[in-house]
Amino acid sequence: MLSKTIITLTVIAFLATAGVAMAGSARDYISIVGSSTVYPFATVVAEQFGKTTSFKTPKIESTGSGGGLKLFCAGVGVEHPDITNASRRIKKSEYDKCMANGVDGVIEVKIGYDGIVMANAKKTAPMKLTRKDIFLALAKDVPDPNGGEKLIPNPYKTWKDVNPALPANKIEVLGPPPTSGTRDAFVELAMEAGAKKFSWIKAMKKKDKKMYKAICHTVREDGAYVEAGENDNLIVQKLNANPKALGIFGFSFLDQNSDTIQGSLVDGVPPTFDAIADGSYPVSRPLFFYVKKAHVDVIPGMKAYLAEFTAEKAWGPDGYLADKGMIPMPDAERRKFATDVKGMQSLMLK
Amino acid sequence: MDAPLEHTDDSRIAKASTVASETVKDQSSGRILYSRDSRETVGETFVDNPRMSCRNVDVYYDDKHAIKNVSLDIGRNQVIAMIGPSGCGKSTILRCLNRMNDTIDICRVSGEILLDGVNIYDRHIDVVPLRARVGMVFQKPNPFPKSIYDNVAYGPRIHGLAQNKAEMDELVETSLRKAGLWEEVKDRLDQPGTGLSGGQQQRLCIARTIAVSPEVILMDEPCSALDPIATSIIEDLIDELKQQFSIAIVTHSMQQASRVSQRTAYFHLGDLIEVGETAQIFTNPRHQLTQDYITGRFG
Amino acid sequence: MNNRRPPSTGTRSSRKAIDIVNAGLARRYRAEKRFRFYGMAAIAASLVFLSILFISIFGKGYPAFQQTYIQLDIFFDPDILARDALTTADYPGLVKQSLRRMFPDVEGRRDKRMLYKIASTGAAYQIRNLVLDDPDVIGKTIGIWVPADDDIDMFFKGHIPRDVPESERRIKDRQIAWIDHLIKEQRIEKHFNRILLTAGDSREPELAGIWGAVMGSFYTLLVTLLLSFPIGIAAAVYLEEFAPKNKWTDLIEVNINNLAAVPSIVFGLLGLAVFLNFFGLPRSAPLVGGLVLTLMTLPTIIIASRASLQSVPPSIREAALGIGASQMQMVAHHVLPLAMPGILTGTIIGMARALGESAPLLMIGMVAFIVDIPGGFTDPSTVLPVQIFLWADSPERAFVERTSAATMVLLAFLIVMNAAAVYLRKRFERRW
Repeated sequence: MLSKTIITLTVIAFLATAGVAMAGSARDYISIVGSSTVYPFATVVAEQFGKTTSFKTPKIESTGSGGGLKLFCAGVGVEHPDITNASRRIKKSEYDKCMANGVDGVIEVKIGYDGIVMANAKKTAPMKLTRKDIFLALAKDVPDPNGGEKLIPNPYKTWKDVNPALPANKIEVLGPPPTSGTRDAFVELAMEAGAKKFSWIKAMKKKDKKMYKAICHTVREDGAYVEAGENDNLIVQKLNANPKALGIFGFSFLDQNSDTIQGSLVDGVPPTFDAIADGSYPVSRPLFFYVKKAHVDVIPGMKAYLAEFTAEKAWGPDGYLADKGMIPMPDAERRKFATDVKGMQSLMLK
Repeated sequence: MDAPLEHTDDSRIAKASTVASETVKDQSSGRILYSRDSRETVGETFVDNPRMSCRNVDVYYDDKHAIKNVSLDIGRNQVIAMIGPSGCGKSTILRCLNRMNDTIDICRVSGEILLDGVNIYDRHIDVVPLRARVGMVFQKPNPFPKSIYDNVAYGPRIHGLAQNKAEMDELVETSLRKAGLWEEVKDRLDQPGTGLSGGQQQRLCIARTIAVSPEVILMDEPCSALDPIATSIIEDLIDELKQQFSIAIVTHSMQQASRVSQRTAYFHLGDLIEVGETAQIFTNPRHQLTQDYITGRFG
Repeated sequence: MNNRRPPSTGTRSSRKAIDIVNAGLARRYRAEKRFRFYGMAAIAASLVFLSILFISIFGKGYPAFQQTYIQLDIFFDPDILARDALTTADYPGLVKQSLRRMFPDVEGRRDKRMLYKIASTGAAYQIRNLVLDDPDVIGKTIGIWVPADDDIDMFFKGHIPRDVPESERRIKDRQIAWIDHLIKEQRIEKHFNRILLTAGDSREPELAGIWGAVMGSFYTLLVTLLLSFPIGIAAAVYLEEFAPKNKWTDLIEVNINNLAAVPSIVFGLLGLAVFLNFFGLPRSAPLVGGLVLTLMTLPTIIIASRASLQSVPPSIREAALGIGASQMQMVAHHVLPLAMPGILTGTIIGMARALGESAPLLMIGMVAFIVDIPGGFTDPSTVLPVQIFLWADSPERAFVERTSAATMVLLAFLIVMNAAAVYLRKRFERRW
């Protein structure tokens, strides 16, 4: 009994020291955190990189854009991540935090675009929406339909109420919860843009920014908008079960499931690869990753990873990222960012 | 018993009769017929050269006064039986003798219990060697779920009584022989002790107790879970064991007490009512409560 | 109760007790029957739900244990495979070359890209390893079975219908024609999917495996077991056998019981704050995962162990104390061995819960894409439930069945662990 205890204690002590020792020593793999939207693309690059080079495969955590930037900006050193993915641009406050923590060389790499689609099952006709329709159907408070510059709680029950051209189906939208980057992008790109169609709301942006944000970004909570979790696959399955409902998710899920679901037209443009790439589909957002310059020469394989990501075979129009549903940037933009990466051009936010 | 002791007790009887508020004496025999409030013990509390002796022992379970000012001697190489109705405290006093009551948090003992003249409740007394000197056999046979051999060898092993395997084998054999179990189990020492019959299990427990060569063996109703044949074997065994050990036995059975013991102590509601030679207690009790109990009026 | 009559000595004495008993018998049996029915209904309901769960998981998951393979005649072209640069040679080129030879009439860049997509990108790695293992193959032509792309796999397994319009299928008409050609030549077959059980994670469903997650779970649980088992037993034994009963031990007991009910994510937050931020242990490491899960399983083990210690009959304790065993000897030699089956059961149940846990690992970075199979306690790794979560969230259709397959593997491990609990219980259980 006693000898057993001694063995156990030894093992524990060994583990503890091993852990501490390992933590102190250099890391030989790239550590990446960040957006769950970029995750499916970054992982493909990482895997390709790991299999075709002698370096270890990078570790990629899906923490969300905000969580990723928080970890990324916590400091310089092997215990902090080298790269963070983001489905939005870094904010000034986050940039300042980076600077304050000694992370002063940050390289910004834009990798492409992601379209956010509203889709329904193939069994019904595709919806032809405008961003104004989306705002009116999903905002918590909407402008009084009887005119006047005042807000009333959203009274619309069916799409026909919103816009007589739409079918008389009940408004039922399955979408991501507020913690999701997709949701942030959706309210900004679709709802806020729709709200701006009301000139008095647009004017409010200058006068009362808080109020403006609250109007544009607050999704109704009376059951018309159903938070269906972060799992986009689940939303796709639910759409098939409920043909009258619409779902909100990333373009890659529409791309993979094009035999059962169809994207709604927004402002007359269908969410297709080409329409998102040329910018005519309005609800799309750029994707980024940010690199810690101080780590480039410390962590093995950093340069090779950046080279892999910015190669034409990865992010080009015929690259493997496009196969996975990422919308590539136009040629000129790709060239600009590839040069920035090669030259280790640091990001400067005023 | 010798004269001075008799004398002491006579004087006690006298004292009791004066103190008690409600005492009825049989005029012809001088026997106390009934003494509800008498806390004085009737009979020969003390013996010459006792192995153990209790002096003014009180035991409390929280507020409950379980043993009230009991003084009692346990003689050498003899058996003392403790009898009395349920809840009278006979088991409690027995468990004080090797401090098994220490395991009960709410139990508090005051007074002195002497083993060869040393107070076992003294601060510097270690219970581990005490329990090796004062062994105990319990009401329900409780062999360890190990082999017969290991059951007996366990005590010697933890106390380091055997230097090597041969010594241990010998010790196990003699202990089992003394417990009268050897012939029955010698071919299956490696089988579990729990596989034996009830009577055999109890003898195994006795063998286990005597393997550590105690001076006193305490038996807490050792036969209450056994059939009459097993009981009579154990009783014969007790009779033999008293050659070597001092034995205190708690029993519900007055026949058993009269068969195996030399002295008997009768307890009632925490009081030691009467103690004396077994023959005297059962033929000519001096206290009315004892009389009532042995004639079966209650109990 | 209802047929009780007013107390009347006449009728009472005329009705014998046995008659009264008989009168109530039917009602008593009815009550018993009803109760049995409720019990059986409850069991049946849970069995139905369990079988629905199993059928849906197995139904979805079993095809994942087969993978579509295509036989390619690879010509190990000495021009491409320069002897001095075997590791970096253009292996995808070899695969493309062989596909082109198989379908020589495919013209145009677009069509060629479509053709190349039939074979998995893993084919190139497979050929690379083959060449590196045995450079003598250079210059020969060998027929090699390589995994098909996940879309082809889905089509071949019938998950992608032929009859929908081409624009809505991920498999185009030309590709279908090629597959039909391959079927005719018997160059496309379903084989047992060894990759699923031996590979690490991948973004290509046909190359994705759970072995990395299994190893991650193994290292994590090993740390958890090595820490929580001795600490849990020590705590339980101390509290149960040695600690005085006072308000402090009461307080500790209440806290332990509380901790057992704390949501597991809280332990993840604690782990983040203490192990990562304060002690600076590495992120995503099984060591830290094990530490966090230890915190989570400890209360379970302590509570189970204490219950088990309590159930050891006092007669055994008395027997040991009665022949002069010290408190410690009594516990170590008698009480603990008798309590062991219960303690082991509690431990295994705690470990099984830890095996199925993903929430606390989110906070310490074990929810991550990790391709390399972890080889130690500080290598980045993930665990089985996290792998299931990650696959469930992947857009590729082929991951749906792989998610179910991974769930089947997790269930298999849980069944093995629970069977071990039953076995250990039987093995160590002793009568007293």
